[in-house]
Amino acid sequence: MKKLYILGLMGLMMASCKPNIEPAAPSGGEGVDFTRYVAVGNSLTAGYADGTLYRSGQKSSYPAILAEQLKTVGGAKEFRQPLLPGEYGYPEPKFMLMMNQGLCDTVASLGPMRYKGALDSIGSSLNIYTQDGPFHNMGIPGIRCIDFLLPGYGAINPYARRMFVSPAGSRPVDETVIMKPSFFTLWIGSNDVLGYATAGGDQAPAAIGSTNQISNVDLFNAAYDTVLSNLRRNGAQGVLLNIPDITSTPFFTTIQAKGLMLTKNDANLLNNAYNSLGGLIRFNEGANYFIIEDSSSPVKFRHIKEGEYILLSTPQDSLKCAGWGTKKPIPGRYVLTANEVSKIRSATASFNNIIYLMAKRENIPMVDVNAYMRTIQAGIVFNGAMFNTTFISGGAFSLDGIHLTPRGYALVANQIIMAINAKYKSTIPLTDVNKYKGVAFP
Amino acid sequence: MKKQILLMGTLLLSSAMAFGAAFQLNLQGVRQLAMGGTGTAVPWDAATIFYNPGGLSALKHVQAYGSVQFLSANTRYVETPTGNYSANSREKLYTPFNFYVGGPVRYKSKLSLGLGVYTPFGTGIRWDDNWRGRYVVQDIQLQSVFFQPTASFRINDVVSIGAGFVIATGHVSIQRAVPIQNMNGQDGKAELSGNANGFGYNIGVHLRANDRVQFGISYRSSVKMKVKRGYATFTVPTALSSSFPYTAFKSDINLPQVVSVGVGIKATERLTITADANYVGWSSYDSLIFDYENNTASLQDTRSARRYKNTVIARVGASYAISRKFTGMLGAAYDPSPVRDGYLSPDLPDNDHVMATAGLVFKPNKRLSIMGVFEYVFTPKRDGSFDEANFSGRYQTRIVNPGLGISYDF
Repeated sequence: MKKLYILGLMGLMMASCKPNIEPAAPSGGEGVDFTRYVAVGNSLTAGYADGTLYRSGQKSSYPAILAEQLKTVGGAKEFRQPLLPGEYGYPEPKFMLMMNQGLCDTVASLGPMRYKGALDSIGSSLNIYTQDGPFHNMGIPGIRCIDFLLPGYGAINPYARRMFVSPAGSRPVDETVIMKPSFFTLWIGSNDVLGYATAGGDQAPAAIGSTNQISNVDLFNAAYDTVLSNLRRNGAQGVLLNIPDITSTPFFTTIQAKGLMLTKNDANLLNNAYNSLGGLIRFNEGANYFIIEDSSSPVKFRHIKEGEYILLSTPQDSLKCAGWGTKKPIPGRYVLTANEVSKIRSATASFNNIIYLMAKRENIPMVDVNAYMRTIQAGIVFNGAMFNTTFISGGAFSLDGIHLTPRGYALVANQIIMAINAKYKSTIPLTDVNKYKGVAFP
Repeated sequence: MKKQILLMGTLLLSSAMAFGAAFQLNLQGVRQLAMGGTGTAVPWDAATIFYNPGGLSALKHVQAYGSVQFLSANTRYVETPTGNYSANSREKLYTPFNFYVGGPVRYKSKLSLGLGVYTPFGTGIRWDDNWRGRYVVQDIQLQSVFFQPTASFRINDVVSIGAGFVIATGHVSIQRAVPIQNMNGQDGKAELSGNANGFGYNIGVHLRANDRVQFGISYRSSVKMKVKRGYATFTVPTALSSSFPYTAFKSDINLPQVVSVGVGIKATERLTITADANYVGWSSYDSLIFDYENNTASLQDTRSARRYKNTVIARVGASYAISRKFTGMLGAAYDPSPVRDGYLSPDLPDNDHVMATAGLVFKPNKRLSIMGVFEYVFTPKRDGSFDEANFSGRYQTRIVNPGLGISYDF
């Protein structure tokens, strides 16, 4: 009996020897109300990834990730998003990594290809406002800042059409405030320069209403001001996000300007063929600059230079077996020349200046995504996982080279949380980036 | 008989004990452990082969000695500065053991010989496979066994010297998740394991100033544990398997040198008080390097900086002869952590150790001793980060460590 008593006492002592620390409870800070958080933005806000929009991508959009963290400080239990029914993309099928053998490849290699199986997008085009709206996530893929003032925008954008209360009549800015947000994030403006860049710059057709021209700065300013003023109308607090330099994304950096590898023999053959140009075109054994189209050059083509970019959309088979970049110049629509790059950078700087001034005027925090993207470019580590802007292996960018992976979006959500905490004296915990998906390998 | 069990149990309960900071175990000798880990000055028994080889020639008879500890450590992690995430290391029992045999080559000889087999270093922690720090560590186990043949010589009634040669063997295994996901979102995995070997020595001087006061100085050399051919297995998506081949690897772990000084004072006929200081040369653990035999673009050699700092451990102990058959011991020690801020990795989330110890020796006859010890280790909570992995949080560890030993004089 006494023995049992002693054993019991020892057991009790063992149990009391367990560590007993608990995490500190987060606080919601001062002067801010997270009960109705609305995210306004474009594809980056919608959770677009791998060249399309699909359900699991939407579920790990940065607004959804942020809303999850805001729950710890009084945010709404439910964060409503215009979820698609399918996993394989709408309207286009998504990019997935697969083994692929191109026309001129001797062996198959791993690369992103559009999914070729049956799509699960039935019902995706239906308007779901009555059924599921209004939505906390007002991320509309493709929308430019200047489109927010366009009445009937829902009629021309399939994503807007399925989530707006009156797609054919309303302006997007009116749709974003239906919920009377108490808190918002605003990340717009990327498409006001992206369309130009992905179309190869000045080679894009400049038809009226086309989205592949850089937006007028004054129109941008007016539209941004209207959107922000509407969001602020009921005294809502929020965070602005600026525009990352699009040319630092893998879509523009993956195919190296000096990425043309030649044998001595091939270099000689090409030099002989271009001999008549008097040394304008010159190849060496090893790494060479590709040949690109350039209407300002006397012969309408030239070597590409450092600081100019070849787009990820350039057909690989044309590079590998149709002689693009060697025998034929790479068409201008797949290239950003120095002149075009400078237009993109200067527009980005102007738009970012507008966003900076608006944040200052409204006295609300701004996340400098542009600066943060440069940090990722240099490489960052989160809980032991490394991220950089390298295509596929970098982990932050999805397979379209422009949009982020769920982990990349989680990194952005953490930047927003840090901005909120700094401004509103809150202690919202950062999310564990690695609980979301990165790039999936077969 | 019932009374004895009760007494032992009570004493064990009221006692607490310690185990060293970082991966030094300091668990040699039940009596010494119960006295806060002091043992450099007083050669109580054959465990002096570890504490001070110079003390071996003080033993009057050849003694065989064996002991085992039942150590269980619990570590808890919580996210900082705020949040709701916490994780507990998995419960696991470790059983470091010691075995010593030694004594004078013949009765009253000045020369004594002995052999110690003991486990001076070891560590292990197992986190859940899906925990937040999985890309840093899921499981790590480090074991070592030292074989130490020893000779000791009594120069005169005051001075004895001793030296032992250390043949060290060990095993290391590490498992961590790799941040490469398959189509189902599952992480890859890296598993490394290998045997390690090394050599070193242990020398000491024992001084019996008079009947009441004894001193001891010992030096245990650093031991470079070399993993000459460990094996690494990677589980990654099929498309990347050629980038992560099954490969051999090399690694070294430098176990630190330890300088100890101690004093023992026989305050009364029944009471002996001891104090030790250990200088531990932890700076030998500068980095953890894995050199893979098959490198690929994805699989490069790794070097993780640890930059441990040297520490000084303070120990005090007391032994009280309750009766002819029973002796009770108490002790305490303070073992500061060698881990700097910014290097606090979840593979060894170390902090300063505060240890309380107690024990009892039962001597049913002149030759036989049965010993029990209980050690309780408290580490204050520690906020820290492992900068290299950008992994931070708050940790707390508790260790309970009962042990049993037996010795017999021939």
